[in-house]
Amino acid sequence: MIELVDVRKAFNQGQHNELWAVRGVTLRLEANCTTVLRGPSGSGKTTLLTLIGCLARPTSGRVRLRGRDVSGMTERFLTGLRRQTFGFVFQQFNLVRGLTVEENVMLPAYPLGVSRPELRRRAHNLLESLDLAPHAQARAEWLSGGQAQRAAIARALVNDPAVILADEPTANLDTDLSHRFLDIVRDLKRKGKTLIMTSHDPLLYQAPEVDRVIGLRDGHLD
Amino acid sequence: MVVNPAIVALAIATLASSLLLAYSAAFGWRLVRTWDLSSGSELQLGLERHTYLISTLVAFVFATEAISLLLFVYNADRIAPLFVGAMCAVGTLNTSPFGFPALLVKVLVFFAASTWLVLHHLDTRGYDYPLTRLKYGLLLAVAPLVVVEAYLQTRFFLALDTDVITSCCGSLFGANREALGSELAGLPPVLAMTLFYGVLGVTLVVGLATRRWPAAGYAYALLSALSFAASLAAIVSFVSLYVYEHPHHHCPFCLLKSEYGYQGYLLYGPLFLATALGIGSGAVRPFARVPSLSDVVPPLARRLTNVSLSMFFFLVVWVCILTARSGLVLLGNEGV
Repeated sequence: MIELVDVRKAFNQGQHNELWAVRGVTLRLEANCTTVLRGPSGSGKTTLLTLIGCLARPTSGRVRLRGRDVSGMTERFLTGLRRQTFGFVFQQFNLVRGLTVEENVMLPAYPLGVSRPELRRRAHNLLESLDLAPHAQARAEWLSGGQAQRAAIARALVNDPAVILADEPTANLDTDLSHRFLDIVRDLKRKGKTLIMTSHDPLLYQAPEVDRVIGLRDGHLD
Repeated sequence: MVVNPAIVALAIATLASSLLLAYSAAFGWRLVRTWDLSSGSELQLGLERHTYLISTLVAFVFATEAISLLLFVYNADRIAPLFVGAMCAVGTLNTSPFGFPALLVKVLVFFAASTWLVLHHLDTRGYDYPLTRLKYGLLLAVAPLVVVEAYLQTRFFLALDTDVITSCCGSLFGANREALGSELAGLPPVLAMTLFYGVLGVTLVVGLATRRWPAAGYAYALLSALSFAASLAAIVSFVSLYVYEHPHHHCPFCLLKSEYGYQGYLLYGPLFLATALGIGSGAVRPFARVPSLSDVVPPLARRLTNVSLSMFFFLVVWVCILTARSGLVLLGNEGV
């Protein structure tokens, strides 16, 4: 489903502080699989995740989604592709403060022109499936860590994307909440979603829900 | 040299356009030689990223060219009173040997630029840069034309001298001279009318036929160019006579003057737009076979043809109105 061919990514290229975060990664990620990109801090896993999710462009190499090259696509096409194919769960959750949980969840669907009643129905269903329905009208900043993460997952799912990308999803959670997160992973897998996560948490990458672990070190595959 | 705001604006715009196009052409040359979508090299990805910026620059330059053509003619008309013997833009353009060549090249650049803009628009609708190489190949052909235009226009502006006695439009568009303008002016009105209404009639019919038979779009593009020539001949031969209500005043430039209600703009605006879009509608059709454009080309070609058709239709109607409301009886007098 997703194919990376000799992908390299440099930051501050040509300057004294040039950094090659990803150095020639070639890999293929199958649909309906749960994959963890494992590696120490600075190994390039978050950069690789952003390249897979079309949030960044490679310096060289190609990223293909369902056989179509996305690494050189213009923003006109990338925006729609990102919106409809990928759901992102960021490490810090990035919920918009001042908005309610329900509004945060509905936010990525606004540009698609879905009617508001339909959008509210979708948000309500997602929040209910993640046990967050009682907090739908609570402001994002009032949520606990676990609740914020589940709100972020609901937001990632509102456009029914095929691929969920999660950056260090258990980094800010205690063990109980991490197990709760794995329950959600199992549920998403059952629904046929492709999950790609970065983590250096053994609880996550050793979990039975994970189909494949890809090791990274210094921008290379381990 | 005469200096006024329009001349300064035109000089700066043309100089800036030439510099930007020279830079874009250098990029285009590199792109045409090294473009390889199957490669993921740093060079290829860099080209893909840069093409967005460069194409935007070129689109801006070409849009400026369209405005520049309008301002050039408008300014030539406005400064005519400064020259002894000049009555309209013709007198100004005749003050040096560079005036009319500059205008001619500007018109050529206008159509080349409009075709490029249509192809660029289509290219941006495909996710895989379907026309990028072709687009930059075309740019390499147009860029020298813009440089020639800048040269001719600069020479023309530098040669503007108010002490020069120039000739008015009567000498260029008099029916008894030996010049292209005189040839057109000498065209019998009946022949010019037959040519104008005939060619535009066929163009309109073929344009409508493209809705059922898209392949007729190529013929429509060709007929659009032909309609442009037929319309110019008609303007010189008989439309101008009806507007001026004078049997020997054939000037196609006096139509732009306030004395005649700027009626020329209502003739030339639709004519240039209709021709440019008509040619553009034909230019996009071969790319309906490109997979990433197969859904984009038919509606785009239809839209271009529709606007072009309405402009040609407006032109025909407007010429009919001008003829009908004129006090000049041109055809009836022939038998007297």
